[in-house]
Amino acid sequence: MGNNATRRRLVVARKSKGPVTRIDALSYSLNIDAQDRTTLNALLDQLRDVLMNDSSSDIARRLFPAAYHQDEQHEQEYQRLMRDELLSSRLASLSLTSSILERETTTNNIVLTADELDALMRSINSLRLVLGTLLDVDEDEFEAHLVEDDPGYGQYQLYSYLGWLLDWIVTAQTEFN
Amino acid sequence: MPIHPAANTDVRPTEVVDPGTDIAPDTDRPWIVLVWNDPINLMSYVTLVLQKLFGYSLEKATELMLDVHNKGRAVVSSGTREHTEFDVYRLHEHGLWATMQREDA
Repeated sequence: MGNNATRRRLVVARKSKGPVTRIDALSYSLNIDAQDRTTLNALLDQLRDVLMNDSSSDIARRLFPAAYHQDEQHEQEYQRLMRDELLSSRLASLSLTSSILERETTTNNIVLTADELDALMRSINSLRLVLGTLLDVDEDEFEAHLVEDDPGYGQYQLYSYLGWLLDWIVTAQTEFN
Repeated sequence: MPIHPAANTDVRPTEVVDPGTDIAPDTDRPWIVLVWNDPINLMSYVTLVLQKLFGYSLEKATELMLDVHNKGRAVVSSGTREHTEFDVYRLHEHGLWATMQREDA
């Protein structure tokens, strides 16, 4: 699993305050700038396209993993019954997340319900899964790619950004536990 | 209402052949849900998902997450096939790499 150390260092470098904070038991605040929201929405569009049109790649296998890795017959039955439901759930989550990111705001501050934060969390995690699969991320070598002369620097930086955002989404939900 | 003459109205106990209980039927063995380690999901995220989906305490969820991270996998739930299939589905919904199998498979 990915470690938090790298992201925590990036957090300090990027902002002194997290982009997601808890307001009360029922609501949260998301604060990311317009450029980041636009970039995330473009990524969500690409992810939606992958979900709708790609059913055989490594990415698809990561987003729709096997449930029965020892039993092909049960696995086929599971996929027949559950794959469409999982697809619908992912698309609904993406749709809600897109609508959140498109909300009008003059302060970059968007108030979210707990359900909206959950949709945002699952969508950001899905983006990380896709990008991490494409990059074939290795947690031991991850930091070595975060240098500007690395050929994959831009993608690793994006992957790092998504991890940073996801970590704050998690923190906002757990810090009052 | 008259009882049909062909109906068996004898309710006395009868001797039946015991099929034996030395070997538990295959259907009696519970199913388990395994979460597998992967290099992408954040440790904090996995812990939160286990808390949310199964109601585990932070300590229990952290222990399971560390088992996944250090040992490669952890059993996070068990029960009937229907129940564990639903658990696997919810874990997949959250992007975790989960599978299910018979307990001693």
